[in-house]
Amino acid sequence: MASSANGGGNPSGLEALHRLASTEPALYLTQSPELSKSARIASESLFAFLNDYVPKHVLSRLSTEGFDAEQIWQQIDLQTQPLLSSLRRQVRNFEKNPSEIGKQFNLDRDGVKEDNLRVDGKNKETDSIESESEDFDDDDDDVDEDEEEDEEDEEEEGGEDDDENDEGENVKGVEDKFLKIKELEDYLVEDEEREYGVKKEKGNKRKSGKIADEDGEDKNEEGDEDEDYELGLMGLGDDGSDMENARYDDFFTSQKKTSQKKKPKYDDESDGMDMDEPENDDSDQTKQSLSTHEKELEKLRAEIEEMERANLEPKTWTMQGEVSAAKRPKNSALEVDMDFDQNVRPPPVTTVEDTASLEELIMKRITEGQFDDVQRAPTLLNKAPKERKEMDENKSKKGLAELYEDEYAQKTGLVSTALSFSDEQKKEASMLFKTLCLKLDALSHFHFCPKPVIEDMSVQANVPALAMEEVAPLAVSDAAMLAPEEVFSGKGDIKEETELTKADRKRRRAKKKRQFKAESVKRMAVKTQLSTLKKHENVAGNGES
Amino acid sequence: MDVEAAAAPPKKPPVLFAQKPNFRPLSAHEISDGQIQFRKISVPPHRYTPLKKAWLEIYTPIYDEMKIDIRMNLKARRVELKTRRDTPDVSNLQKCADFVHAFMLGFDVIDAVALLRMDELYVESFEIKDVKTLKGEHLSRAIGRLSGKGGKTKFAIENSTRTRIVIADSKIHMLGSFANIKVARDSLCSLILGSPAAKVYSKLRAVTARLAERF
Repeated sequence: MASSANGGGNPSGLEALHRLASTEPALYLTQSPELSKSARIASESLFAFLNDYVPKHVLSRLSTEGFDAEQIWQQIDLQTQPLLSSLRRQVRNFEKNPSEIGKQFNLDRDGVKEDNLRVDGKNKETDSIESESEDFDDDDDDVDEDEEEDEEDEEEEGGEDDDENDEGENVKGVEDKFLKIKELEDYLVEDEEREYGVKKEKGNKRKSGKIADEDGEDKNEEGDEDEDYELGLMGLGDDGSDMENARYDDFFTSQKKTSQKKKPKYDDESDGMDMDEPENDDSDQTKQSLSTHEKELEKLRAEIEEMERANLEPKTWTMQGEVSAAKRPKNSALEVDMDFDQNVRPPPVTTVEDTASLEELIMKRITEGQFDDVQRAPTLLNKAPKERKEMDENKSKKGLAELYEDEYAQKTGLVSTALSFSDEQKKEASMLFKTLCLKLDALSHFHFCPKPVIEDMSVQANVPALAMEEVAPLAVSDAAMLAPEEVFSGKGDIKEETELTKADRKRRRAKKKRQFKAESVKRMAVKTQLSTLKKHENVAGNGES
Repeated sequence: MDVEAAAAPPKKPPVLFAQKPNFRPLSAHEISDGQIQFRKISVPPHRYTPLKKAWLEIYTPIYDEMKIDIRMNLKARRVELKTRRDTPDVSNLQKCADFVHAFMLGFDVIDAVALLRMDELYVESFEIKDVKTLKGEHLSRAIGRLSGKGGKTKFAIENSTRTRIVIADSKIHMLGSFANIKVARDSLCSLILGSPAAKVYSKLRAVTARLAERF
């Protein structure tokens, strides 16, 4: 980095800066185009100056004509971001290798202060640029903050300017017999040493210088804030290497490498440090000459390490228990050969034989008429079926009085319970059936069939009284019931027509003739009698007349 | 009682109160203070011949069993009833009058005789126009509905409710006990109003079953 004078090559810029510095703070509140113009010029000059130090050029120059505060600020920001990071890196380098600082700048002790100032100046410039650009436009909302910051930085500036003039001079008004700023500084440094356990003279010096600058102001609060801020920026000087820049190497590498390992003694890491130290020592020292046993141990250890690492990692989705499609990679289920049981029986495959047998069965059933229809189960009656009286649509044969009479008789029990209508019908039906059966039996066979028991006492006139007691086959006709002489009472020798001899025939003819003659004589006699009577009457009649 | 009489049978206790008079029950004639009571029942012309035919059947129970004098006033076309001295009950006359009246309405003698023998039988009459105003053919049809074919509906009602029904043109008379008359009347009214016979039968069946179950 080329060391160039402040504002070298741009006297107008320096002028503008001086002008800005000399103006009253209150004037910044008013809107003055002169101040604005001078601020812009100053910004441009600073920008150009700093551009040399920027590792990568983004903008060649700051263009402020016609731009508002925000735009100018953005341009500055473009430059300052990489610039700041590079500066920080350099500062860290210097922290690590303090000797290089001297080499870099080719300066002795005084030069350190200059460096200090220069570094401060750079910081100051950046701060001031920030503050100025923010301040000059009144359309910012958070004006108060900016004002505060401005005042801070301005006072910083002022403080540092004062420092430039006279170092170590007591600031007016703060110090007295009791409070010495120097003593305060020393105490603070000691405290830090105690806390962080680092003793760096140079860092202390620098810090003390810083602290002196800041404590010189009336605003201790802001000074503290700035202290922190500055400390943060610097990275605690060299002390910060332990806190912020604590690295694995500080703890887990061998003692040879860094001397700082033991110094930051934190309880958390002490154990780990102790544990890892011997292992690391072993591995480093005995790498070349390993016995077989040790090699095996090595292998085991490596395996163990691997397994432990695998355990620490999240398991594959196949080992995770219930995994939904969203939780596993796409189509991963296809790649895995999954093994699971299904309780469902596979559907039956229908073959031609199956269907043929089924159809055969169906046809057989149809021909037989055996359909396995569901038949209604017969319900058993809880009680006897209700006796329903038939509606008689004929004129009742009994009179009303007789009806009531019968009812009364039944109630009082004088008469046996009268048969209900249905019973009478039943009786009639049974009688009819018995007579029918009797007739059918008579037609079918002689024997068997006891006479039906007829309860009524009607006398059957046609059959003689003896017949009632006779045990004779029923099919025998009435004629056979009578004795032969009752059937035919004939005298003498009875011969058939064909059996008659000639003499018998003659005798029969003679008999017939005699009978006829006798009859005819009788008739004649009767006739003559009649005729004589008539004659007499006639005569008598004639005689009278 | 004298002391001597009392001494002779020592068992008899001395009677302090007068003996209660023992009257025999009054006869019907005496109840009505010896007055003879009459009933006159006029004979409508259409019942004249049936009365002549059934005269003896009417006369016999009235005279012999009820002990009521009965005579027919031919000139006035009336049947006259009169109590006798030996009529057993006061109500006999009224029963006989009801009996004759029932016959005049159109009931058979054998049915009307029940009035003589039972107390709780009544005769109720109503007209078709009481139920529904019907005129001309509607009236005729209603009457036809009431009787049914060959009178079967009427007989069905009679048999199931143990009543006797007489349908005389527009007038309907019923003879029977109170509850039975009610049932018969309901069925007849429903028939007049137009319900078919089958419906009436079903209702009748239910009602009579219920009536029968009660006993």
